[in-house]
Amino acid sequence: MIARVEIHPGRYHDSVRLMQASKALQNVEGIIDALVAMATELNLSLLADMGFDMDAVADAGPNDLVLALRAEDEGAIATAHQVLDDALTHKAAPSGGLDAPDPKTAGSAAAVADANVVLLSVPGEHAFVEATEALESGRHVMIFSDNVPIEQEIILKAYGGDHDLLVMGPDCGTTIINGIGLGFANAVEPGSVSMVGASGTGIQQMCALLDDAGVGVRHALGTGSRDLSEDVGAASTLQALEALEEDPGTDLIVVISKPPADPVAEKVRRAAELCSKPVVVTFMGETTLEEGAGEVLAVLGRPPAEYGTWPAANDVHRPGFVRGLFSGGTLSSEAQFVAAPILGEIGSHERDEGNTFVDYGDDEYTQGRAHPMIDQTVRLERLAAAARDESVGVILMDVVLGYGANADPAAELAPLVEQAVTAGAAVVVSLCGTRGDPQGRDAQAAALNKAGASVFLSNAAAAREAARLATTRTSS
Amino acid sequence: MSDLSHLLDGEPIVATAGTDMLAGSIEQQGADVVRSDWRPPEAGTEAALAALAADGRNKEANDTAVARLLAVRPQLVDVSVARDVFPDMTPTTFFHAGPPLTWDRASGPMRGAIIGAMIYEGLADGPEDAEAKAARGEIELSPCHHHGAVGPMAGVTSPSMPVAVVADGAGEGVAYSTLNEGLGKVLRYGAFAQEAIDRLHWMDAVLGPVLSAVLESRGPIDLQSLIAQALQMGDDGHNRNRAVTSLFLRELGGALVDGADAPVDQRADVFRFIDGNDHFMLNLVMAAGKLGSDAASGVPASSLVTVMARNGTDFGIRLSGTGDEWFVAPAPPVDGLYLGSFTEEDASPDIGDSTITETVGLGGFAMAAAPAIVGFVGGTAAGAVRRTLAMYEITLAEHPMYQIPMLEFRGTPVGIDAARVVRTGVLPQINTGVAGRVPGTGMVGAGLVEAPMECFAQAVRALAEELS
Amino acid sequence: MTARAVRARPSSAPVRLPAVASLALRHLFVSEAVTASVLGASSHAVWLHAGGDVLVVATRDATRLPNGVEIAATSEDGLLELVHHGASVVVGPDSLELGGLVVNLVRWWDPRPALPLTTSGDLSVAIGGLPYSVPGIDAGPLHSALAVTSPEELVDASVTLLGRGPGLTPEGDDVLAGALAAIRTLGTALGSRPALAMLDEAAGALAEAAISRTTTFSSALVRCAMRGEVAAPAGGLLRALAGRGNVGANHRDLLRVGHTSGPALAAGIVLGAQSLIEAETTPNGGVQ
Repeated sequence: MIARVEIHPGRYHDSVRLMQASKALQNVEGIIDALVAMATELNLSLLADMGFDMDAVADAGPNDLVLALRAEDEGAIATAHQVLDDALTHKAAPSGGLDAPDPKTAGSAAAVADANVVLLSVPGEHAFVEATEALESGRHVMIFSDNVPIEQEIILKAYGGDHDLLVMGPDCGTTIINGIGLGFANAVEPGSVSMVGASGTGIQQMCALLDDAGVGVRHALGTGSRDLSEDVGAASTLQALEALEEDPGTDLIVVISKPPADPVAEKVRRAAELCSKPVVVTFMGETTLEEGAGEVLAVLGRPPAEYGTWPAANDVHRPGFVRGLFSGGTLSSEAQFVAAPILGEIGSHERDEGNTFVDYGDDEYTQGRAHPMIDQTVRLERLAAAARDESVGVILMDVVLGYGANADPAAELAPLVEQAVTAGAAVVVSLCGTRGDPQGRDAQAAALNKAGASVFLSNAAAAREAARLATTRTSS
Repeated sequence: MSDLSHLLDGEPIVATAGTDMLAGSIEQQGADVVRSDWRPPEAGTEAALAALAADGRNKEANDTAVARLLAVRPQLVDVSVARDVFPDMTPTTFFHAGPPLTWDRASGPMRGAIIGAMIYEGLADGPEDAEAKAARGEIELSPCHHHGAVGPMAGVTSPSMPVAVVADGAGEGVAYSTLNEGLGKVLRYGAFAQEAIDRLHWMDAVLGPVLSAVLESRGPIDLQSLIAQALQMGDDGHNRNRAVTSLFLRELGGALVDGADAPVDQRADVFRFIDGNDHFMLNLVMAAGKLGSDAASGVPASSLVTVMARNGTDFGIRLSGTGDEWFVAPAPPVDGLYLGSFTEEDASPDIGDSTITETVGLGGFAMAAAPAIVGFVGGTAAGAVRRTLAMYEITLAEHPMYQIPMLEFRGTPVGIDAARVVRTGVLPQINTGVAGRVPGTGMVGAGLVEAPMECFAQAVRALAEELS
Repeated sequence: MTARAVRARPSSAPVRLPAVASLALRHLFVSEAVTASVLGASSHAVWLHAGGDVLVVATRDATRLPNGVEIAATSEDGLLELVHHGASVVVGPDSLELGGLVVNLVRWWDPRPALPLTTSGDLSVAIGGLPYSVPGIDAGPLHSALAVTSPEELVDASVTLLGRGPGLTPEGDDVLAGALAAIRTLGTALGSRPALAMLDEAAGALAEAAISRTTTFSSALVRCAMRGEVAAPAGGLLRALAGRGNVGANHRDLLRVGHTSGPALAAGIVLGAQSLIEAETTPNGGVQ
């Protein structure tokens, strides 16, 4: 049995609070007797009555706090101190139901809910300060913003690496953690396949393919588009890979990116080899996401998949070039990779003649507008123009579904698709979506198909079809 | 367990800044998200903010500085005479409130106070004589802040004035302030009529010595404890000081009645003087704040605001990490209630060192503890609470001792971070009295004022410059 | 529609909210609608009986249960208070209608915690010092049954525990559930085939015993436990015992659940873990 009397000079608390604290202390297991009070004459005499040694309080005055404990052991005393601290201090708690002003930074918003991820989409030049605050308060960061200087990315990722915090981005469009999507993300079935990707749409397409093949997804960690550059050196990719290796719920890991510089590609491949779990590395531009998905299925021991297809009602179309109208760079690049060996040269910028696959998510086309995955205005205009353009034989478009994207893209597209098909062009749609997506994947496919488009859940398959149509045309 | 594994084991709890779309899609998935009301920082400070964020020292320096601010234990130990406690004071040196000032730029109340002090010290025959001499530069002017002192309103401190000595019970620091004269035609509002001068003489002959004798008799008075109690009795520590003054009088009580070595009629006069002045304690509360402010100064890389002060022309601030440098901007107008038939036309620009209270978690930063203040400065009680709540966004800590009952005893927001002010656009809220433009008018009203953004922008840029 | 927007709506309109649910309930939401009845309701949770299933519709601040549907609102929003005992409810497809509240299922979680592989040596260290009994509940027969991996003894022991104690989930049930969940999940993590075989063999009889001997609600949770489907805090403890997470912190979190449920579940889990270790080392327990 231990008795302890302590003075805490100059600490004032009102009597109600102290009575509540005393009561809390008395309820601590192992505490036989407790009193915490201001050292007024009345309280000191109470202390004497309780049989405590009064020497310790000889110099105490009414402005001093006295803590007296009688306990079974030191452990109980330690607990009592903790309980007392909790009772007397108040951490950053909500303001008791009053109408508090909104938090002004992501960091203070994070403190309100004790968030573990801060998601930033502020203009790029301001992202660094917000991200630093988040990391310094022990939270992971996803930077959706682009136009963040690379020096800042390097600093953030160095800090993150040192503190076991993941920096996702900058220019990270998609992340999924335990089925919850941040940014543009598709609804996935729970599963044990996880991904690490430097391309958001690449992640989305892989999720869509696996979903159609009946494979669920656990995590998809976005690293930002520059993570695999030489300067950044795959910092987040390697950190994510390690974490997924240790995650008991992950059985297989997929790495997705456009082909990195050799030294970085080497680092990633080596890490993949050393990983105790199977890792499928898909560098788009060396291979396709469709092939990557195929590899995943093979490792899982599943049969190869035939991804959903809604063929066009008729194959008849006018001769001409392929005009690709894409909402993002990843699917556009992959389509080019697939189609070029068949079509020959494919340009990436708008022009009057020749095959062109254009990324309308590029800054050039998005001034003062939301991303084409949300705001289809520019692409709708180009679709109408392509319909009128007799030199265009095939129109190829991606439509990306999921949270964050346009609520009903097919509704806006269908009338123009119909126009184009009536005018004699073939329309091929690469529909990137999962069965659970809020837009209703199959309903979207059906609507576009009804308007005359052939629809493919695999982007590579759509690109192949567009190339096939352009090179084996049947004319009316 | 590591943080990254923890993230992957559960569902993310997300906070956002930027487009609402991202928060909306998280909610659509049935998950929880907290949004922020983010806006870009003050134009021209982006580079400085990025530099501070990139420099690892700023956060730690702020932690150190605010800890020092909160560690002081201010105690009133004596009441002495200005010439005896200030080594740099000469017969013709006067201290004043706010950043450095010259006579030619001084406002009405400040000039009035200087004139009054000159007459009081016998340096001039009358107002015209005083004005002429002052204009010729015969009086040296120096900020109180440069000498470990603070003064409310004009804050003029001259050699013969009694001065409260506030020492740190937990350290070596000392801070000083003159004693509060009361309301009406008083020096600090720029009055120099005989009434004001006579009162000053009484204060140095009776008030000062009696208080000194009382302290001799009963020992030092713990100011921190009085302030903490007063906050739970409806005071805000800047414009509402009735509770703390009452508590102070009780502390003096015994020794004032019996024990202090001073004539009984003087002791009675002192009692009545303090009893009749609801703001008597303001000066001592300010000195207690100055103690904390000085303790927190001089921490390299810290963006903690240690001083906010006005001289009737300029509003100035200082940061812990930029040494003695002042960052000034024109004193802003006060949004307030005017007494009687006074209007904005009659108002002098904001003046006084009393914003030291906001720097240490009182005044505008404790309005939620004193909703009755709205009768004085205007607005609504709910608005008073909101103003305090808004201050948590720009401060580094919650005060361990100054607690606000209606916020579940949450500590007041304390330790203003200039970087956060500039980043969020949230300016420190100040409750203040307003002096009449014409010297000697006295108080014409009271209200709310925000510290000017320009000061903080300059300060942050200077700090970033210093770190590079 | 978020809970915040809900409070602003005109009062006659149905309230629509997204919700997430346990995979264990998936089968209820894929085909035609079924009617369910309300077993009980509070500000935090509404318990429903739908055919042979028992499920809980709960707010975000309630403990996440293995047979749960979690709505995007907190108990303070007061939405579940509108549902009363005896009210009629429609379950599925893809949504749930409780009076004026329509809940759309947008996402699923797995109620079985993902555990890393571990060894009995490491598990032994992990459970060191944690209590494996609660006052008033005799778990001796259960302990012996599990240690020798006997399905018959397990069923007998369960009968002595089921229904014992007051409340929606009697303490005896919670101890049993904790132990069964530990056998299923930690047993898998250890690769204890005899223990898992015991559980598989006893499953049918255990389920029957649960249904007949205790509250409807509790029997559902016991049956979930047999499959390794547990409440979130219990999952956290199991994961920590397997080596991922802080044992002390997760143990404390579980103790805070309910009045007696938390400590009883925790004790059951530790008991189950202890039995797995013993089973590996006794000759009766079969192959190491």
